[in-house]
Amino acid sequence: MENNYQLSRIHNYIHGLMSKEEMFQLEREALDDPFLQDAIDGYRLQNGVDARQLSLLQQRLNRRVEDTIATRHAQYFTWQRLAVGATAGVLFVTLLALLYFNHFNGKAERTTDVELSEPENRISVEPLLDGGDASPREGWKTFEQYLNKQLMASVRGGEIIVNFTIDKNGVPANIHAEGQPESSLFDEAVRLLQTGPKWQGTKGRLKIVFPVKDEKNQAQANVIKPPHCFGVAKK
Amino acid sequence: MNDLRMNEKELLQHYKTSGDLSTLGKLYSPYMSLLYGVCFKYLQDPDRSQDAVMQIFEELIQKLRQYEVDNFKSWLHVYSKNYCLMQLRKDKRTMQVDIEDNLFESEQKLNDTSEAKWEERDFEKLEGCMQTLNREQQECVRLFYLEQKCYKDIADLTGYDLNKVKSAIQNGKRNLKICMERKENGK
Repeated sequence: MENNYQLSRIHNYIHGLMSKEEMFQLEREALDDPFLQDAIDGYRLQNGVDARQLSLLQQRLNRRVEDTIATRHAQYFTWQRLAVGATAGVLFVTLLALLYFNHFNGKAERTTDVELSEPENRISVEPLLDGGDASPREGWKTFEQYLNKQLMASVRGGEIIVNFTIDKNGVPANIHAEGQPESSLFDEAVRLLQTGPKWQGTKGRLKIVFPVKDEKNQAQANVIKPPHCFGVAKK
Repeated sequence: MNDLRMNEKELLQHYKTSGDLSTLGKLYSPYMSLLYGVCFKYLQDPDRSQDAVMQIFEELIQKLRQYEVDNFKSWLHVYSKNYCLMQLRKDKRTMQVDIEDNLFESEQKLNDTSEAKWEERDFEKLEGCMQTLNREQQECVRLFYLEQKCYKDIADLTGYDLNKVKSAIQNGKRNLKICMERKENGK
């Protein structure tokens, strides 16, 4: 403010807008203040004070000061960014690691699912509805569980399609196979059906798949399955 | 913002320790319009003078952290004047600087602190010293200091050019001072 006051005095002085007393006062001050005297000399040379010029100059100074503050902030943000970047990097690596493990775990799980229904290891039945209406009274799932529990280990793998009728006691009768299946498979199928759970309906037609246990097929299984799946398979 | 209430010395100290540019801005800003005038006096070009004011600010960023500055205002004035004279020298442009003018100023700087005690006989001495001044100086000093007339009136009264009046008063004042001090020492 003192600044503006002095400036307006200089302005008034140069343009002769001051009283003689005021002029004397300023001259007196200027004699003791060479800074003021120089400024007066300068403005007199310029023929007056250009307020617009000075406000531009003030703006330049403000910009200069703000720029530096902005730069400092920018630098600060750079460090912040660097920290964020580093954190992001660590997170990314962690994520990759997680994905990597998850990938294998997921694969293992998927493989396990396949294992459960794989005919090589478990016996399975497929009701062929075109040939019959019979179904186990306790449901297919229970029947399959029964089959797996009761299956004789010595039976070789293979599939067989059997047709049968249900007698009045709910037990399969008149069991005969389609085609020329191995007799051991047929005998086992008859045994399992006749000693197993009761049935409902009149006629049954089933495809029974016995798990493959011979070495040739096991070698095949080795190719298909990743090694770590065996742990699951053995359960 | 506590630095609004800081005086110049505190601002100066705060800048020196913190290097905070906005503090320097607060310190510098009040002098900018005076500085522009000073720069114009030497450079005599509006754009160059503005640039000079900004450039001086740039230099202060370093200098004010290095040096212990007691009187910021007069330090700034001398610094800026030197800056402008250096600019002119770089231009290989010569500039007529009134040697008396500059002598007066730098001398005044040295004598700033000395405060004279005035006694009865000092006034007699002063009258004696007045007689040693040349006619122009005597006339102008008398009109200015005793009759408190402004430069313009003195110019009108004496018929001298305004600049002549100014330098007559400045030099007369300086010579009086020298005379007074010499007589004192010679006692």
